[in-house]
Amino acid sequence: MPILQALVNGLVVGTLLAVPAIGFTSMFAVLRFPNFAISGIATLGAFAGYLAYGAGLQMVGSLVVAFAAAAAAGLFFDKTAHLPLVKQGALPAAIASIASGLVLENVIRLGFGNDFRGYDRPIARDMYIGDIRVSPQQLETMAIALAIMLAVFAVLAFTRVGKAMRASADNPELAALKGIRPERVAAMASFIGMGLVGVGGMLLGLDSSIDPLTGARILLSIFAAAVLGGLGSAPGAVLGAFMIGMAEELSVLAVGSPYRTAVGFFAILIMLTLRPRGLLGERAF
Amino acid sequence: MSLLSITDLRGGYAAADEIVKDAALRVEPGEIVALIGPNGAGKSTLLKLIAGLLRPRGGQIQFKGQNIAGLGAPEISRLGLSFVPQERNVFGVMSVAENLEMGGYLDGAHARQRIAELYERFPMLADKRRAAARTLSGGQRQILAMAIALMNAPDLLLLDEPTAGLSPRAAEELFGTILALNKGGVAILMVEQNALEALSVSARAYVLVQGRAEREGRGDELASDPTVRDLFLGGKAQPMLASRGASTELGEHS
Repeated sequence: MPILQALVNGLVVGTLLAVPAIGFTSMFAVLRFPNFAISGIATLGAFAGYLAYGAGLQMVGSLVVAFAAAAAAGLFFDKTAHLPLVKQGALPAAIASIASGLVLENVIRLGFGNDFRGYDRPIARDMYIGDIRVSPQQLETMAIALAIMLAVFAVLAFTRVGKAMRASADNPELAALKGIRPERVAAMASFIGMGLVGVGGMLLGLDSSIDPLTGARILLSIFAAAVLGGLGSAPGAVLGAFMIGMAEELSVLAVGSPYRTAVGFFAILIMLTLRPRGLLGERAF
Repeated sequence: MSLLSITDLRGGYAAADEIVKDAALRVEPGEIVALIGPNGAGKSTLLKLIAGLLRPRGGQIQFKGQNIAGLGAPEISRLGLSFVPQERNVFGVMSVAENLEMGGYLDGAHARQRIAELYERFPMLADKRRAAARTLSGGQRQILAMAIALMNAPDLLLLDEPTAGLSPRAAEELFGTILALNKGGVAILMVEQNALEALSVSARAYVLVQGRAEREGRGDELASDPTVRDLFLGGKAQPMLASRGASTELGEHS
Protein backbone atom coordinates (compact mmCIF):
# COMPACT_ATOMS: atom_id res chain seq x y z
CA MET A 1 0.00 0.00 0.00
CA PRO A 2 2.84 2.50 0.63
CA ILE A 3 3.78 1.96 -3.00
CA LEU A 4 0.29 2.97 -4.14
CA GLN A 5 0.42 6.05 -1.91
CA ALA A 6 3.85 6.92 -3.32
CA LEU A 7 2.48 6.58 -6.85
CA VAL A 8 -0.44 8.91 -6.07
CA ASN A 9 1.98 11.40 -4.49
CA GLY A 10 4.16 11.05 -7.57
CA LEU A 11 1.17 11.80 -9.78
CA VAL A 12 0.58 15.02 -7.84
CA VAL A 13 4.25 16.05 -8.00
CA GLY A 14 4.42 15.10 -11.69
CA THR A 15 1.38 17.21 -12.54
CA LEU A 16 2.88 20.23 -10.80
CA LEU A 17 6.33 19.69 -12.37
CA ALA A 18 4.80 19.38 -15.83
CA VAL A 19 3.87 23.08 -16.01
CA PRO A 20 7.39 24.51 -15.59
CA ALA A 21 8.81 21.59 -17.61
CA ILE A 22 6.62 22.61 -20.58
CA GLY A 23 7.87 26.18 -20.16
CA PHE A 24 11.51 25.07 -20.04
CA THR A 25 11.29 22.72 -23.02
CA SER A 26 9.30 25.20 -25.15
CA MET A 27 11.99 27.81 -24.60
CA PHE A 28 14.67 25.28 -25.52
CA ALA A 29 12.80 24.39 -28.74
CA VAL A 30 12.80 27.99 -29.95
CA LEU A 31 15.83 29.61 -28.28
CA ARG A 32 18.13 26.56 -28.58
CA PHE A 33 19.80 26.75 -25.18
CA PRO A 34 18.86 25.30 -21.76
CA ASN A 35 17.66 28.29 -19.76
CA PHE A 36 18.70 27.52 -16.18
CA ALA A 37 17.46 30.94 -15.00
CA ILE A 38 14.21 29.03 -14.40
CA SER A 39 15.42 28.35 -10.84
CA GLY A 40 15.26 32.06 -9.96
CA ILE A 41 12.18 32.64 -12.13
CA ALA A 42 10.23 29.83 -10.41
CA THR A 43 11.12 31.36 -7.04
CA LEU A 44 10.07 34.80 -8.29
CA GLY A 45 6.72 33.40 -9.48
CA ALA A 46 6.18 31.67 -6.13
CA PHE A 47 6.85 34.90 -4.19
CA ALA A 48 4.82 37.12 -6.56
CA GLY A 49 1.87 34.73 -6.21
CA TYR A 50 2.42 34.61 -2.44
CA LEU A 51 2.26 38.42 -2.18
CA ALA A 52 -0.81 38.63 -4.42
CA TYR A 53 -2.61 35.86 -2.50
CA GLY A 54 -1.68 37.51 0.80
CA ALA A 55 -3.04 40.82 -0.50
CA GLY A 56 -6.44 39.19 -0.95
CA LEU A 57 -6.43 38.14 -4.61
CA GLN A 58 -8.18 34.87 -5.46
CA MET A 59 -6.19 31.85 -6.63
CA VAL A 60 -6.62 32.57 -10.36
CA GLY A 61 -5.70 36.24 -9.90
CA SER A 62 -2.61 35.26 -7.91
CA LEU A 63 -1.57 32.82 -10.63
CA VAL A 64 -1.93 35.59 -13.22
CA VAL A 65 0.35 37.80 -11.08
CA ALA A 66 2.87 34.94 -10.77
CA PHE A 67 2.78 34.44 -14.55
CA ALA A 68 3.16 38.14 -15.34
CA ALA A 69 6.03 38.76 -12.90
CA ALA A 70 7.95 35.68 -14.05
CA ALA A 71 7.29 36.35 -17.75
CA ALA A 72 8.42 39.98 -17.51
CA ALA A 73 11.58 39.16 -15.53
CA GLY A 74 12.36 36.18 -17.77
CA LEU A 75 11.99 38.24 -20.93
CA PHE A 76 14.23 40.96 -19.44
CA PHE A 77 17.02 38.50 -18.57
CA ASP A 78 16.73 36.70 -21.92
CA LYS A 79 16.87 39.95 -23.92
CA THR A 80 19.71 41.51 -21.97
CA ALA A 81 21.87 38.59 -20.81
CA HIS A 82 21.10 35.31 -22.62
CA LEU A 83 20.00 35.86 -26.22
CA PRO A 84 22.97 38.10 -27.13
CA LEU A 85 25.20 35.12 -26.24
CA VAL A 86 23.28 32.43 -28.16
CA LYS A 87 25.15 33.34 -31.37
CA GLN A 88 28.35 32.19 -29.60
CA GLY A 89 26.70 28.82 -28.85
CA ALA A 90 24.34 27.27 -26.35
CA LEU A 91 26.95 26.89 -23.60
CA PRO A 92 27.73 30.60 -22.96
CA ALA A 93 24.00 31.39 -22.87
CA ALA A 94 23.35 28.46 -20.50
CA ILE A 95 26.13 29.58 -18.15
CA ALA A 96 24.81 33.17 -18.21
CA SER A 97 21.35 31.83 -17.34
CA ILE A 98 22.78 30.06 -14.25
CA ALA A 99 24.16 33.45 -13.16
CA SER A 100 20.79 35.14 -13.78
CA GLY A 101 19.07 32.53 -11.63
CA LEU A 102 21.53 33.16 -8.79
CA VAL A 103 21.02 36.94 -9.08
CA LEU A 104 17.24 36.55 -8.81
CA GLU A 105 17.50 34.07 -5.93
CA ASN A 106 19.70 36.43 -3.93
CA VAL A 107 17.62 39.52 -4.66
CA ILE A 108 14.62 37.61 -3.26
CA ARG A 109 16.72 36.55 -0.27
CA LEU A 110 17.61 40.21 0.35
CA GLY A 111 13.94 41.18 0.36
CA PHE A 112 12.37 38.24 2.18
CA GLY A 113 15.12 36.51 4.14
CA ASN A 114 15.66 32.75 4.27
CA ASP A 115 12.47 31.82 6.17
CA PHE A 116 10.01 29.30 4.82
CA ARG A 117 6.61 30.83 4.09
CA GLY A 118 3.29 29.13 3.42
CA TYR A 119 0.28 30.30 1.46
CA ASP A 120 -2.51 30.97 3.92
CA ARG A 121 -4.98 28.53 2.40
CA PRO A 122 -8.12 27.34 4.22
CA ILE A 123 -7.52 24.09 6.10
CA ALA A 124 -9.43 21.11 4.73
CA ARG A 125 -9.67 17.54 5.95
CA ASP A 126 -7.77 14.94 3.87
CA MET A 127 -9.81 12.50 1.82
CA TYR A 128 -9.25 8.75 1.85
CA ILE A 129 -9.84 6.29 -0.96
CA GLY A 130 -9.20 3.01 0.85
CA ASP A 131 -5.85 3.68 2.49
CA ILE A 132 -4.79 6.25 -0.08
CA ARG A 133 -4.75 9.79 1.29
CA VAL A 134 -5.23 12.87 -0.89
CA SER A 135 -5.81 16.43 0.28
CA PRO A 136 -8.51 18.59 -1.38
CA GLN A 137 -5.86 21.29 -1.77
CA GLN A 138 -3.67 18.90 -3.77
CA LEU A 139 -6.65 18.05 -5.97
CA GLU A 140 -7.34 21.75 -6.54
CA THR A 141 -3.71 22.45 -7.42
CA MET A 142 -3.63 19.45 -9.76
CA ALA A 143 -6.82 20.61 -11.49
CA ILE A 144 -5.30 24.06 -12.01
CA ALA A 145 -2.10 22.53 -13.42
CA LEU A 146 -4.08 20.30 -15.79
CA ALA A 147 -6.19 23.27 -16.96
CA ILE A 148 -3.01 25.28 -17.63
CA MET A 149 -1.50 22.37 -19.59
CA LEU A 150 -4.64 22.04 -21.72
CA ALA A 151 -4.61 25.79 -22.36
CA VAL A 152 -0.94 25.67 -23.42
CA PHE A 153 -1.54 22.78 -25.82
CA ALA A 154 -4.61 24.56 -27.24
CA VAL A 155 -2.50 27.69 -27.84
CA LEU A 156 0.24 25.64 -29.56
CA ALA A 157 -2.21 23.66 -31.70
CA PHE A 158 -4.85 26.20 -32.67
CA THR A 159 -3.56 29.77 -32.49
CA ARG A 160 -1.48 31.71 -35.00
CA VAL A 161 1.11 32.53 -32.32
CA GLY A 162 1.36 28.91 -31.19
CA LYS A 163 1.72 27.60 -34.73
CA ALA A 164 4.37 30.24 -35.50
CA MET A 165 6.29 29.09 -32.40
CA ARG A 166 6.09 25.44 -33.52
CA ALA A 167 7.13 26.39 -37.07
CA SER A 168 10.07 28.43 -35.83
CA ALA A 169 11.16 25.63 -33.48
CA ASP A 170 10.99 23.06 -36.28
CA ASN A 171 12.61 25.04 -39.11
CA PRO A 172 13.74 28.57 -38.19
CA GLU A 173 15.12 29.35 -41.66
CA LEU A 174 11.89 28.44 -43.47
CA ALA A 175 9.85 30.26 -40.80
CA ALA A 176 11.85 33.44 -41.50
CA LEU A 177 11.27 32.96 -45.24
CA LYS A 178 7.54 32.84 -44.58
CA GLY A 179 7.65 36.18 -42.78
CA ILE A 180 7.73 34.87 -39.20
CA ARG A 181 10.13 37.22 -37.41
CA PRO A 182 12.59 35.12 -35.39
CA GLU A 183 13.13 37.83 -32.76
CA ARG A 184 9.37 38.10 -32.11
CA VAL A 185 8.97 34.34 -31.82
CA ALA A 186 11.97 34.23 -29.45
CA ALA A 187 10.39 36.95 -27.28
CA MET A 188 7.05 35.13 -27.28
CA ALA A 189 8.69 31.81 -26.35
CA SER A 190 10.61 33.51 -23.56
CA PHE A 191 7.53 35.33 -22.21
CA ILE A 192 5.22 32.29 -22.26
CA GLY A 193 7.90 29.82 -21.16
CA MET A 194 9.08 31.90 -18.22
CA GLY A 195 5.47 32.70 -17.28
CA LEU A 196 4.75 28.97 -17.07
CA VAL A 197 7.85 28.45 -14.96
CA GLY A 198 6.64 31.17 -12.57
CA VAL A 199 3.19 29.57 -12.34
CA GLY A 200 4.89 26.22 -11.73
CA GLY A 201 6.87 27.76 -8.88
CA MET A 202 3.66 28.99 -7.29
CA LEU A 203 1.86 25.66 -7.77
CA LEU A 204 4.73 23.79 -6.14
CA GLY A 205 4.73 26.39 -3.35
CA LEU A 206 1.02 25.85 -2.81
CA ASP A 207 1.73 22.15 -2.30
CA SER A 208 4.41 22.79 0.34
CA SER A 209 6.07 26.10 1.25
CA ILE A 210 8.32 28.70 -0.39
CA ASP A 211 11.75 30.16 0.32
CA PRO A 212 14.55 31.62 -1.86
CA LEU A 213 15.64 28.07 -2.79
CA THR A 214 12.21 26.96 -4.04
CA GLY A 215 13.33 27.14 -7.66
CA ALA A 216 16.79 25.71 -7.09
CA ARG A 217 15.24 22.62 -5.46
CA ILE A 218 13.07 21.85 -8.50
CA LEU A 219 15.57 22.86 -11.19
CA LEU A 220 17.05 19.40 -11.56
CA SER A 221 13.63 17.71 -11.62
CA ILE A 222 12.38 20.09 -14.34
CA PHE A 223 15.54 19.62 -16.43
CA ALA A 224 15.37 15.84 -15.98
CA ALA A 225 11.70 15.81 -17.02
CA ALA A 226 12.52 17.75 -20.20
CA VAL A 227 15.52 15.52 -21.05
CA LEU A 228 13.52 12.37 -20.37
CA GLY A 229 10.68 13.41 -22.66
CA GLY A 230 13.02 14.85 -25.30
CA LEU A 231 14.39 18.41 -25.06
CA GLY A 232 12.09 20.62 -27.10
CA SER A 233 9.04 18.39 -26.89
CA ALA A 234 6.09 19.75 -24.87
CA PRO A 235 4.20 16.42 -24.70
CA GLY A 236 7.53 14.81 -23.81
CA ALA A 237 7.98 17.25 -20.92
CA VAL A 238 4.60 16.20 -19.50
CA LEU A 239 5.46 12.51 -19.82
CA GLY A 240 8.91 13.13 -18.31
CA ALA A 241 7.43 15.13 -15.42
CA PHE A 242 5.06 12.29 -14.47
CA MET A 243 7.89 9.77 -14.65
CA ILE A 244 10.26 11.91 -12.56
CA GLY A 245 7.51 12.69 -10.02
CA MET A 246 6.71 9.02 -9.51
CA ALA A 247 10.36 7.94 -9.52
CA GLU A 248 11.19 10.54 -6.87
CA GLU A 249 8.34 9.42 -4.61
CA LEU A 250 9.19 5.72 -5.06
CA SER A 251 12.86 6.45 -4.35
CA VAL A 252 11.86 7.77 -0.92
CA LEU A 253 10.50 4.31 -0.10
CA ALA A 254 13.58 2.56 -1.47
CA VAL A 255 16.52 4.69 -0.33
CA GLY A 256 15.06 7.45 1.85
CA SER A 257 14.32 11.11 1.19
CA PRO A 258 17.96 12.41 1.33
CA TYR A 259 18.66 10.64 -1.98
CA ARG A 260 15.49 11.83 -3.70
CA THR A 261 17.33 14.52 -5.67
CA ALA A 262 19.65 11.87 -7.14
CA VAL A 263 16.71 10.54 -9.18
CA GLY A 264 16.95 13.44 -11.62
CA PHE A 265 20.69 12.86 -12.14
CA PHE A 266 20.14 9.15 -12.77
CA ALA A 267 17.29 9.84 -15.18
CA ILE A 268 19.43 12.27 -17.20
CA LEU A 269 22.40 9.88 -17.17
CA ILE A 270 20.37 6.88 -18.29
CA MET A 271 18.47 8.77 -20.96
CA LEU A 272 21.53 10.47 -22.45
CA THR A 273 23.31 7.11 -22.56
CA LEU A 274 20.51 5.01 -24.02
CA ARG A 275 18.35 7.43 -25.99
CA PRO A 276 19.75 10.97 -26.21
CA ARG A 277 16.72 12.20 -28.18
CA GLY A 278 14.45 11.43 -25.24
CA LEU A 279 11.29 9.35 -25.17
CA LEU A 280 9.31 11.41 -27.68
CA GLY A 281 12.21 13.16 -29.43
CA GLU A 282 12.65 16.87 -29.90
CA ARG A 283 10.45 16.94 -32.98
CA ALA A 284 7.22 16.34 -31.12
CA PHE A 285 6.89 19.99 -29.98
CA MET B 1 11.70 47.48 -65.86
CA SER B 2 13.01 44.05 -64.86
CA LEU B 3 11.24 42.25 -62.04
CA LEU B 4 14.60 41.30 -60.55
CA SER B 5 17.88 42.91 -61.45
CA ILE B 6 21.17 42.01 -59.81
CA THR B 7 24.44 43.87 -60.33
CA ASP B 8 27.91 43.25 -58.90
CA LEU B 9 26.54 41.03 -56.14
CA ARG B 10 29.10 39.62 -53.72
CA GLY B 11 28.66 37.43 -50.67
CA GLY B 12 29.01 34.07 -48.97
CA TYR B 13 28.64 32.28 -45.68
CA ALA B 14 31.56 33.96 -43.90
CA ALA B 15 33.56 37.15 -44.34
CA ALA B 16 36.61 35.27 -45.63
CA ASP B 17 34.54 33.02 -47.85
CA GLU B 18 33.24 35.00 -50.84
CA ILE B 19 31.37 32.50 -52.97
CA VAL B 20 29.36 34.85 -55.18
CA LYS B 21 31.65 37.33 -56.96
CA ASP B 22 30.25 40.30 -58.85
CA ALA B 23 27.29 38.29 -60.13
CA ALA B 24 24.79 39.97 -62.43
CA LEU B 25 21.47 38.73 -63.77
CA ARG B 26 17.90 39.82 -64.40
CA VAL B 27 14.48 38.22 -64.48
CA GLU B 28 11.62 39.79 -66.43
CA PRO B 29 7.99 39.53 -65.28
CA GLY B 30 6.44 36.14 -66.10
CA GLU B 31 9.75 34.65 -67.25
CA ILE B 32 11.42 31.34 -66.35
CA VAL B 33 15.17 31.79 -65.94
CA ALA B 34 17.50 28.88 -65.21
CA LEU B 35 20.75 29.20 -63.33
CA ILE B 36 23.09 26.35 -64.16
CA GLY B 37 26.69 25.61 -63.35
CA PRO B 38 29.05 23.06 -61.85
CA ASN B 39 28.98 22.05 -58.20
CA GLY B 40 30.43 24.77 -56.00
CA ALA B 41 29.67 27.54 -58.52
CA GLY B 42 27.64 29.45 -55.93
CA LYS B 43 24.15 28.89 -57.37
CA SER B 44 22.40 28.12 -54.07
CA THR B 45 24.39 30.85 -52.31
CA LEU B 46 23.20 33.35 -54.91
CA LEU B 47 19.56 32.39 -54.26
CA LYS B 48 20.08 32.71 -50.49
CA LEU B 49 21.58 36.18 -50.97
CA ILE B 50 18.55 37.23 -53.03
CA ALA B 51 16.08 35.75 -50.51
CA GLY B 52 17.71 37.51 -47.56
CA LEU B 53 19.00 34.39 -45.80
CA LEU B 54 22.57 35.64 -46.33
CA ARG B 55 23.69 39.26 -46.16
CA PRO B 56 25.39 40.53 -49.32
CA ARG B 57 28.80 42.15 -48.92
CA GLY B 58 28.37 44.30 -51.99
CA GLY B 59 26.28 44.98 -55.06
CA GLN B 60 22.61 45.67 -55.67
CA ILE B 61 19.50 43.52 -55.79
CA GLN B 62 16.56 45.43 -57.29
CA PHE B 63 13.18 43.71 -56.91
CA LYS B 64 10.18 45.54 -58.37
CA GLY B 65 12.32 48.67 -58.46
CA GLN B 66 13.34 48.52 -54.81
CA ASN B 67 16.84 47.69 -53.57
CA ILE B 68 16.37 44.68 -51.29
CA ALA B 69 20.06 43.94 -50.68
CA GLY B 70 20.54 43.68 -46.93
CA LEU B 71 16.84 43.30 -46.04
CA GLY B 72 15.91 40.28 -43.91
CA ALA B 73 14.05 37.24 -45.25
CA PRO B 74 10.67 38.23 -43.68
CA GLU B 75 10.78 41.70 -45.30
CA ILE B 76 11.73 40.30 -48.71
CA SER B 77 9.00 37.67 -48.49
CA ARG B 78 6.51 40.43 -47.71
CA LEU B 79 7.43 42.16 -51.00
CA GLY B 80 6.32 39.12 -53.04
CA LEU B 81 9.45 37.01 -53.44
CA SER B 82 9.27 33.36 -52.34
CA PHE B 83 12.22 31.02 -52.01
CA VAL B 84 11.93 27.23 -51.97
CA PRO B 85 15.16 25.82 -50.45
CA GLN B 86 16.58 22.54 -51.70
CA GLU B 87 16.43 20.87 -48.28
CA ARG B 88 14.32 21.39 -45.18
CA ASN B 89 11.73 23.18 -47.26
CA VAL B 90 8.67 22.09 -45.24
CA PHE B 91 7.77 22.11 -41.54
CA GLY B 92 8.20 18.38 -40.93
CA VAL B 93 6.34 18.09 -37.63
CA MET B 94 3.34 20.09 -38.82
CA SER B 95 0.44 18.81 -40.91
CA VAL B 96 0.10 19.68 -44.60
CA ALA B 97 -2.73 22.11 -43.73
CA GLU B 98 -0.63 23.79 -41.04
CA ASN B 99 2.31 24.07 -43.47
CA LEU B 100 0.07 25.95 -45.89
CA GLU B 101 -1.20 28.18 -43.08
CA MET B 102 2.38 29.09 -42.21
CA GLY B 103 3.02 29.78 -45.90
CA GLY B 104 0.25 32.38 -45.71
CA TYR B 105 1.42 33.78 -42.38
CA LEU B 106 1.84 37.29 -43.80
CA ASP B 107 -1.65 37.44 -45.29
CA GLY B 108 -3.96 35.62 -42.91
CA ALA B 109 -7.06 37.27 -44.40
CA HIS B 110 -6.69 35.44 -47.72
CA ALA B 111 -5.12 32.24 -46.38
CA ARG B 112 -8.29 30.14 -46.37
CA GLN B 113 -9.15 31.05 -49.95
CA ARG B 114 -5.60 30.38 -51.17
CA ILE B 115 -5.49 27.03 -49.39
CA ALA B 116 -8.76 26.04 -51.12
CA GLU B 117 -7.26 27.06 -54.49
CA LEU B 118 -4.10 25.07 -53.82
CA TYR B 119 -6.12 22.00 -52.79
CA GLU B 120 -7.92 22.30 -56.12
CA ARG B 121 -4.67 22.65 -58.04
CA PHE B 122 -2.87 19.89 -56.10
CA PRO B 123 -5.52 17.33 -55.00
CA MET B 124 -2.78 15.27 -53.32
CA LEU B 125 -2.39 18.02 -50.73
CA ALA B 126 -6.12 17.94 -49.97
CA ASP B 127 -5.98 14.16 -49.52
CA LYS B 128 -2.99 14.47 -47.18
CA ARG B 129 -4.04 17.64 -45.36
CA ARG B 130 -3.90 16.01 -41.92
CA ALA B 131 -0.67 14.08 -42.53
CA ALA B 132 2.60 15.33 -41.01
CA ALA B 133 4.78 16.76 -43.78
CA ARG B 134 7.68 14.47 -42.83
CA THR B 135 5.58 11.45 -43.85
CA LEU B 136 5.24 12.62 -47.49
CA SER B 137 7.29 11.15 -50.33
CA GLY B 138 10.06 13.25 -51.92
CA GLY B 139 7.89 14.37 -54.84
CA GLN B 140 4.91 15.14 -52.61
CA ARG B 141 7.16 17.14 -50.32
CA GLN B 142 8.44 19.25 -53.23
CA ILE B 143 4.85 19.96 -54.30
CA LEU B 144 4.05 20.99 -50.71
CA ALA B 145 7.16 23.18 -50.59
CA MET B 146 6.06 24.98 -53.74
CA ALA B 147 2.49 25.29 -52.47
CA ILE B 148 3.83 26.88 -49.25
CA ALA B 149 5.78 29.33 -51.38
CA LEU B 150 2.67 30.16 -53.42
CA MET B 151 0.63 30.99 -50.31
CA ASN B 152 1.86 34.60 -50.27
CA ALA B 153 0.96 35.04 -53.98
CA PRO B 154 4.55 35.76 -55.08
CA ASP B 155 5.56 37.60 -58.23
CA LEU B 156 8.85 35.71 -58.26
CA LEU B 157 9.59 32.18 -57.14
CA LEU B 158 13.18 31.09 -56.44
CA LEU B 159 13.56 27.30 -56.75
CA ASP B 160 16.73 25.61 -55.51
CA GLU B 161 17.23 22.19 -57.13
CA PRO B 162 13.51 21.32 -57.13
CA THR B 163 14.07 17.87 -58.67
CA ALA B 164 16.99 16.82 -56.46
CA GLY B 165 16.49 13.29 -55.18
CA LEU B 166 13.34 12.68 -57.23
CA SER B 167 12.75 9.77 -59.60
CA PRO B 168 12.82 10.69 -63.32
CA ARG B 169 9.03 10.41 -63.48
CA ALA B 170 8.50 12.58 -60.40
CA ALA B 171 11.01 15.10 -61.78
CA GLU B 172 9.13 15.25 -65.08
CA GLU B 173 5.86 15.82 -63.27
CA LEU B 174 7.46 18.56 -61.21
CA PHE B 175 8.75 20.36 -64.32
CA GLY B 176 5.15 20.18 -65.61
CA THR B 177 3.98 21.81 -62.39
CA ILE B 178 6.64 24.52 -62.69
CA LEU B 179 5.49 25.32 -66.24
CA ALA B 180 1.85 25.43 -65.11
CA LEU B 181 2.72 27.84 -62.30
CA ASN B 182 4.57 30.04 -64.76
CA LYS B 183 1.57 30.09 -67.11
CA GLY B 184 -0.35 31.48 -64.15
CA GLY B 185 1.95 34.53 -64.27
CA VAL B 186 4.60 33.67 -61.66
CA ALA B 187 8.17 34.41 -62.73
CA ILE B 188 10.66 31.70 -61.78
CA LEU B 189 14.40 31.75 -61.16
CA MET B 190 15.50 28.15 -60.90
CA VAL B 191 18.77 26.46 -59.93
CA GLU B 192 18.79 22.96 -61.35
CA GLN B 193 21.39 20.19 -61.67
CA ASN B 194 19.27 18.61 -64.38
CA ALA B 195 20.57 21.29 -66.72
CA LEU B 196 19.20 20.22 -70.09
CA GLU B 197 15.73 19.71 -68.62
CA ALA B 198 15.95 23.14 -66.96
CA LEU B 199 17.11 24.79 -70.20
CA SER B 200 14.26 23.18 -72.11
CA VAL B 201 11.62 24.86 -69.92
CA SER B 202 13.43 28.21 -69.54
CA ALA B 203 13.15 31.34 -71.63
CA ARG B 204 16.67 32.36 -70.67
CA ALA B 205 19.50 30.95 -68.62
CA TYR B 206 22.76 31.94 -66.98
CA VAL B 207 25.82 29.76 -66.56
CA LEU B 208 27.40 30.44 -63.21
CA VAL B 209 31.06 29.50 -62.76
CA GLN B 210 33.00 30.28 -59.59
CA GLY B 211 30.48 32.82 -58.38
CA ARG B 212 30.17 34.76 -61.65
CA ALA B 213 27.54 34.60 -64.39
CA GLU B 214 29.82 33.55 -67.27
CA ARG B 215 27.23 33.20 -70.00
CA GLU B 216 23.72 34.28 -70.69
CA GLY B 217 21.43 33.16 -73.47
CA ARG B 218 18.13 31.67 -74.53
CA GLY B 219 17.49 28.26 -73.04
CA ASP B 220 17.55 26.46 -76.40
CA GLU B 221 20.74 28.30 -77.49
CA LEU B 222 22.64 27.30 -74.37
CA ALA B 223 21.28 23.74 -74.59
CA SER B 224 22.88 23.37 -78.03
CA ASP B 225 26.12 25.16 -77.07
CA PRO B 226 28.98 22.61 -77.27
CA THR B 227 30.81 23.99 -74.22
CA VAL B 228 27.68 23.92 -72.10
CA ARG B 229 26.88 20.42 -73.33
CA ASP B 230 30.42 19.35 -72.42
CA LEU B 231 30.05 20.91 -69.01
CA PHE B 232 26.70 19.45 -68.11
CA LEU B 233 26.37 16.30 -70.14
CA GLY B 234 29.86 14.93 -69.68
CA GLY B 235 30.66 16.70 -66.43
CA LYS B 236 33.70 18.31 -68.11
CA ALA B 237 33.96 21.56 -66.17
CA GLN B 238 37.63 21.86 -67.07
CA PRO B 239 37.43 23.72 -70.41
CA MET B 240 35.47 26.72 -69.18
CA LEU B 241 37.37 26.98 -65.93
CA ALA B 242 40.71 26.57 -67.66
CA SER B 243 39.84 29.25 -70.19
CA ARG B 244 39.50 31.66 -67.26
CA GLY B 245 42.92 30.60 -66.00
CA ALA B 246 41.27 29.75 -62.71
CA SER B 247 41.73 26.91 -60.28
CA THR B 248 39.47 23.91 -60.81
CA GLU B 249 39.23 23.24 -57.08
CA LEU B 250 35.54 23.48 -56.31
CA GLY B 251 34.15 24.53 -52.96
CA GLU B 252 31.65 22.46 -51.04
CA HIS B 253 28.82 24.94 -51.47
CA SER B 254 26.55 24.23 -54.41
